[in-house]
Amino acid sequence: MISQRAIEVTTAVLTGIFGVAVVVSSMEVGIGWGEKGVDAGTFPLIVGSAIALGSLYNLARGVLVGHEIAVSWPALRRVAGLFVPAAVFIALIPSFGMYAASFAYTLATVGWQRKLPPWKTVAVALAVPLFLYVVFEKAFVVTLPHGTLFEMMGF
Amino acid sequence: MESNIESLMHGFGIAITMQHILLMVVGVLLGILVGVLPGLGAPNGVSLLLPLTFGMQPVSAIILLSSMYWGALFGGSVTSILFNIPGEPSSVATTFDGYPMARDGRPSTALATAFGSAAFGALVGVVLITLVASWVAQFALRFGPPEYFAVYFLAFASFVGMGGTPPIKTLVALSIGFAIAAIGIDTVSGSVRLTFGVPELVKGVDFVVAVMGLFGIGELLLAVEEEMHAKAVSSKIDWREVLRTIAGLPRYGGTLLRSAAIGCWMGITPGGPTAASFMSYGVAKRFARKGSRPFGTGVPEGIVAPEAADHSAGTSALLPMLSLGIPGSATAAVMMGGLMIWGLNPGPMLFVDQRDFVWGLIASMYVSNIVAVVLVLATVPMFAALMRIPFFIIAPLIFIICTVGAYSVSNSYLDVVLMFGFGILGYLFKKAAYPLAPLVLAIVIGDKAEDAFRQAMLMSKGSLGIFFSSPLVTCLILGGFAFLLVPQLMKLARPRRPDLEATEV
Repeated sequence: MISQRAIEVTTAVLTGIFGVAVVVSSMEVGIGWGEKGVDAGTFPLIVGSAIALGSLYNLARGVLVGHEIAVSWPALRRVAGLFVPAAVFIALIPSFGMYAASFAYTLATVGWQRKLPPWKTVAVALAVPLFLYVVFEKAFVVTLPHGTLFEMMGF
Repeated sequence: MESNIESLMHGFGIAITMQHILLMVVGVLLGILVGVLPGLGAPNGVSLLLPLTFGMQPVSAIILLSSMYWGALFGGSVTSILFNIPGEPSSVATTFDGYPMARDGRPSTALATAFGSAAFGALVGVVLITLVASWVAQFALRFGPPEYFAVYFLAFASFVGMGGTPPIKTLVALSIGFAIAAIGIDTVSGSVRLTFGVPELVKGVDFVVAVMGLFGIGELLLAVEEEMHAKAVSSKIDWREVLRTIAGLPRYGGTLLRSAAIGCWMGITPGGPTAASFMSYGVAKRFARKGSRPFGTGVPEGIVAPEAADHSAGTSALLPMLSLGIPGSATAAVMMGGLMIWGLNPGPMLFVDQRDFVWGLIASMYVSNIVAVVLVLATVPMFAALMRIPFFIIAPLIFIICTVGAYSVSNSYLDVVLMFGFGILGYLFKKAAYPLAPLVLAIVIGDKAEDAFRQAMLMSKGSLGIFFSSPLVTCLILGGFAFLLVPQLMKLARPRRPDLEATEV
């Protein structure tokens, strides 16, 4: 399980890192008063500092938060059950393309539940890329990635 | 005042055409759909629809998108009442009394109370826009860069001070939005900044990508975590009961007016519909007569208050968007992004240059809210049936839709990865009570706020004194500081109120 403290601290650390990155990056662009008025890095420097300092404050507050449970084990398993396949799906898109990846993703997540008969699972998984193809590729002429593997095969 | 009525009539001439009524119907139905589905909400729905509007006339496009917004606001209440599952964050407060009433065998009464109050709230919001928007715009025509920056400052200060979330967390969310807006080519100097060594980031981060991740993926993760059991009460609509309930609504006139006023206030100062509905519920609870049934057991006031406030906030959020170029809610921010893509410049000049667009939209809001009430009542059984599809099927579908939506913004795989990152951030932010709406707002108007600041600095040759150079600017800046500090001082002076703590988005 994950405690509220862990969530508060993780979030504050992540935002803090982003804040520092913004500050460093804006210093490289140039801050202060230049020929064309306020330099391009000035505004990012201000918001970057706000993020960094605010995160520091939130971190301090977060450490003081009690150890109450924010996400229980079963809940965490359910979140992971959506998150992990979704991450794999996104990782598959460049090589396998949106259509094959979405088919595999739907097949895996719906099949994993074992609550539908196999033919229904396959039907749902086939319907998804078909729907995407009709709506995007045909109706609105938006080309979704076909994947490098399929492009090599000539699709 | 008279010219406003004339302009409105002119607007009706534009809004009431076959094509536009049809767009309203489509928009409302799609809106109810995204409103009903947990994980998809009004900001996502409008972002998904946005690319499809590029070929349209701006006025048709905005009618479609705004109708979708109204539909989503209504749809969120349907699931709140029938399933105890808020389809939208802004309809969480509706579950408190709406679901108990429906469970006690009065779903028609609960739904009719909700929709009737919602329509009233929306009407108050539209009337306010009709009467005040052009006046505000006329006033704002005199604004220069310092005044504009001061108005932005006021808006963001009110977010931090009055959003209901911990102020420093709001500040961090807001600043992250500004930093993301700054990524890419700087419009003033032309130099590239904050790309962190990723060449593709030169084009910047599109707000649609952020919305898909923060609202779509984040909400989806939350929804699976909470493991919803859709235990539906009967979704049959008894039309006679509906009419009787709506006819009886004036009995709650006081609650209606108060809630609509709260909603308008929260919509204009960008507190947004969610904060408005919680606040209104809390206030109604405090105003409840002694000896009457306690809130949370299915009392009508407990439905009237959040619904009227939710819709009046949603509607009046368009007022600052149209007349000042500052959206009052996350969805309004997405619509404003659309306006800029269509080549319009949100702000006071709209009322001069784009009279047809502005008044067509305002007039359409009267019509589309009526369309929405009728359609939502007629389609309740259909959308309730949709909720019986198991969530383990719907969840991957929503994820794929968000992915495709993020990709199609600029055909970039990086956007998909960014969206996923925003999704994780959205989940963490929700769990740790950071608000999401300010982040999106800051991405949309960050560049404008920065430009206003830099132009003001150019005018004054680098002196901050320009923000205190005229009574108007000084008032706006001081007002911003008041919004920022007064709530904190009041909190110190008074014990915490638990019922207002839980407001988010």
